[in-house]
Amino acid sequence: MTDIQHKTFLFDATRCIDCRACMVACSVENKIPMNKTRIWVAGVGLKGEFPALERASMVYHCMHCNEPDCLSACPVGAYSKRLDGPVIYDPKKCIGCRYCMNACPFGVPHFDYDKGLIDGAFIDKCSMCTQRIDVGLEPACMATCPTGALMFGERDELLKYAHDRLTAQPARYLNHVYGESENGGTSYLILSHVPFKELGLPELSSTPVRDVSEAVMGVTIPFALGWGAVLTGTAVGVHMVNKKKEADAQKLETSEPQAEEKK
Amino acid sequence: MPSTLSRRDFLKISGAAVGALVIGEFLPPWVAQAARSNGVLDASDSGYIPSMCEMCVWRCGLLAKVDAGRVVKLEGNPDHPHSNGKLCPRGQSGLMNTYDPDRVLTPLIRVGKRGQGLFRKASWEEALDLVTQNMLDIKQKYGPEAMLFSSTHNLSQVQFENLLNAYGSPNYGTQRSLCFNAMIVSNLTTYGMEEPNRKYDDLKYIILTGRNLMEAISTSETSALSQAIDRGVKVVTLDPRFTKTAAKSAEWLPIRPGTDLAFHLALINVIITEGLYNRNTVLNQTSGFDQLAAAVTQYTPEWAAPITEIPAETIRRIAHEFAAAAPYALAHNGWRTSNFVNSFQTERAIAILNALAGNWGVAMFPASGEESGVLGAPPQPAYPRVSAQRLDGVPWKYPFVPLKIGVFQELREAALSGTPYQAHGWFIARQNPAMSLPDRGRTLEAFAKMDFITTVDIIMNDTSWFSDVVLPESSYLERYDPLNIVGNKAFLRQPVIEPQGEARSALWIYKELGTRLGLGDFFQYSDEEDYLKQQLAPLGVSLDQVRQKGYVDLPGEGPDFTEPIWNTPSTKIELFSTTLDKGGFAAVPQWEEPLAPAPGQFYLLTGKVAQSTQFASQNNQLLNKYSDEPRLWMNVATAKSLGLSENDLVEVASTAGKIHIKLEATQAIRPDCVYLTPGYGHLSKGLTVAYGLGASDSDLHLTFTDPISGGQALSQTFVTVSKI
Repeated sequence: MTDIQHKTFLFDATRCIDCRACMVACSVENKIPMNKTRIWVAGVGLKGEFPALERASMVYHCMHCNEPDCLSACPVGAYSKRLDGPVIYDPKKCIGCRYCMNACPFGVPHFDYDKGLIDGAFIDKCSMCTQRIDVGLEPACMATCPTGALMFGERDELLKYAHDRLTAQPARYLNHVYGESENGGTSYLILSHVPFKELGLPELSSTPVRDVSEAVMGVTIPFALGWGAVLTGTAVGVHMVNKKKEADAQKLETSEPQAEEKK
Repeated sequence: MPSTLSRRDFLKISGAAVGALVIGEFLPPWVAQAARSNGVLDASDSGYIPSMCEMCVWRCGLLAKVDAGRVVKLEGNPDHPHSNGKLCPRGQSGLMNTYDPDRVLTPLIRVGKRGQGLFRKASWEEALDLVTQNMLDIKQKYGPEAMLFSSTHNLSQVQFENLLNAYGSPNYGTQRSLCFNAMIVSNLTTYGMEEPNRKYDDLKYIILTGRNLMEAISTSETSALSQAIDRGVKVVTLDPRFTKTAAKSAEWLPIRPGTDLAFHLALINVIITEGLYNRNTVLNQTSGFDQLAAAVTQYTPEWAAPITEIPAETIRRIAHEFAAAAPYALAHNGWRTSNFVNSFQTERAIAILNALAGNWGVAMFPASGEESGVLGAPPQPAYPRVSAQRLDGVPWKYPFVPLKIGVFQELREAALSGTPYQAHGWFIARQNPAMSLPDRGRTLEAFAKMDFITTVDIIMNDTSWFSDVVLPESSYLERYDPLNIVGNKAFLRQPVIEPQGEARSALWIYKELGTRLGLGDFFQYSDEEDYLKQQLAPLGVSLDQVRQKGYVDLPGEGPDFTEPIWNTPSTKIELFSTTLDKGGFAAVPQWEEPLAPAPGQFYLLTGKVAQSTQFASQNNQLLNKYSDEPRLWMNVATAKSLGLSENDLVEVASTAGKIHIKLEATQAIRPDCVYLTPGYGHLSKGLTVAYGLGASDSDLHLTFTDPISGGQALSQTFVTVSKI
């Protein structure tokens, strides 16, 4: 997976102080309405009992998967994965079906229930600030992070940096870079001092959900056609049986009244 | 996902307060004319305008991004040493302060009763005439000393001080006695300077005593601490709460409130009795070592353990670790050190511990100083002589407190008691004593004693709500302020957009008022740009050049680190303070037992969160959007023993007053403490976002003044908590 040349974030949970500068910066940069956000704080927060305490939290937004499930699930091609990393949502193509919401293993795409068909964009999610990275700037969240908990750069370089840190400070981190292989690799890599599930991250295999779903989707049409044939056959069979029953019943009907009259 | 600010919570919090607003929707289209003409914008009116943040007093450098004549984003300025290209959440939200729909954009004159919130719009002409008339009346009837002036740390404060000095009042209130008087006065008596600079580059060991840098963010210092931790520096945090700083520290000591002094005395005891101090520094740079050594023999770790509730072996170990790391060890002197009446001696002990570590020139450096002789200034006639005593007791009651700092809570007390004389008017700029001073009930009583109150602010703050005239200031993105020196550069705050409505800069307001008061000779600048040109005159640099870069390099080299000059009576670092000795106070720190809560009472703690600045930011929609709901923290076990559960509405009561607030049962606080985020519980209904949120600590705080530093003891209030 290390050969994927994507712009990538590296989030270091040991350095995040939960100040939310990234969230405010994103809101301003991307003109997010006051009742919406593209970045969340996740994780268990406070752990333990006084005075043996620990904190575990993470800011997260779209993971910009290398093999995006949203893209795979979208029936109208409203998602695309740019070669340099960002997973892009195109509101003009979106029909508001919300398949992407169900498909995303990280729960990122957010549906705007206040909007109707003519309002456009139903879904909101992080764009990796393409308007900034296209002119050589860093994404707004990372650019303002006061503690350097968020980094941004080339995926291979950040992966190397992450592994170097794990080697240099083994006591500080769990020995794993989340997102290196999870779900086929993401463009949001995470270093942590607590188990990743305590940061709210799902345990995912390195096989992208997309591969599984596409394998399933690959047999869908033959399956559907086959199932259709079976159903049609059944329907025809049932129909024929019913026809025969009807014919028999009609025969009975003609004779039954007489039988009743006999009573 | 389990979360601290989950999507569902997020929608709940923000949805309750504000509708679907998008910042861009109400941006005015026109960028400041000054910026158009000075070459920072391209032909399509796009580019970056350098200026300075004012969301707190750290004053980061910013770059305002302009797109087609609209300001769309603020970035940290990489050229400014306080921001290094970063801004904290408050800095990032700065646009929203400027575009707050609650901005006061015309002068207002009160028409209802005070506190009723009924005002009418007025012209500047009428409003300034009314203020002038009242100030002249007060001066004529009662003398200029009957007029109180108060303002908080801001760049135009020099002209505010000019106004009060020209008017002739000695009564000047700043917020500093509610914040860092203990730290300032302790450094003055020990080192002869207010606050040394700190550097983290080479440190190996840091003791943080209530300096919550990860939540009370000072961008560059927070960043430096984070990098230090990343390098493996050991940080020990003393705090009764498990703050976000404690969470990043190698060791958290949930010390009993008010006993930091005992902890530091025990560290000094170990370091002296075991001979672990820096002999070279002690011999050559300090005075009074023998007196110190004699005084601390009794303060063993075993003595401190039951007082601080930190085991003796832990204290001894930390003393050893600190001494082993010295001189690359720092005992941070803190910032808001107004905790207990003994906080001054705590700060003295910290200053002394640093001297024993010999960390000068390694961890601590001379302050760069904001005043400098290299800049010009408008010509200034001599001020009228003031014969009246200051109402806050400086220096006649508080001889060690610098005049420019003062004792704000005592000013309020004198306004109430009328001794030594009665104050009749209050001119308040960029300050909100209705929220900041302890015991709000008494502050409102003091307001009621005033014949006239006028405030200068950008929004209808709680003090403005009780004012007779409100003068609308332009926001920090709309105005010039005097230059600000940091290191060997002078930085500029310049307008990024034209002021909205009738808002005007403080420089303009003070000059207009001064002129009407017949004090025009004291304000010899035609406008803000002329003021800056006079400041720049000795440097031979044009204002246009400074506007393009955002700063000007100053001549001369930086402060000399190698040969410090101790501005104390002995010209040494005074371990034994001759000044304190003469004043009849303990010349070496000695233990003072702080007040403690009675059974059934709790220490009331306050402290910052990263998304708010004192009392001025709660109406900012962007900060409100990402803030946790303000609740009263109580230890889970304590809550259980009182039969209280999470989100119960509780009554918190002190002898000063009571508040109602929701409970947050948490493990992150000592069982004998409760905590409240300050800055909530606003009285002004002109703050449509903040009004109704949380409760005010100021309704509960009692007034205690440290006789040496004049600091208010904010943690010395004890409360009861009961279910409603």
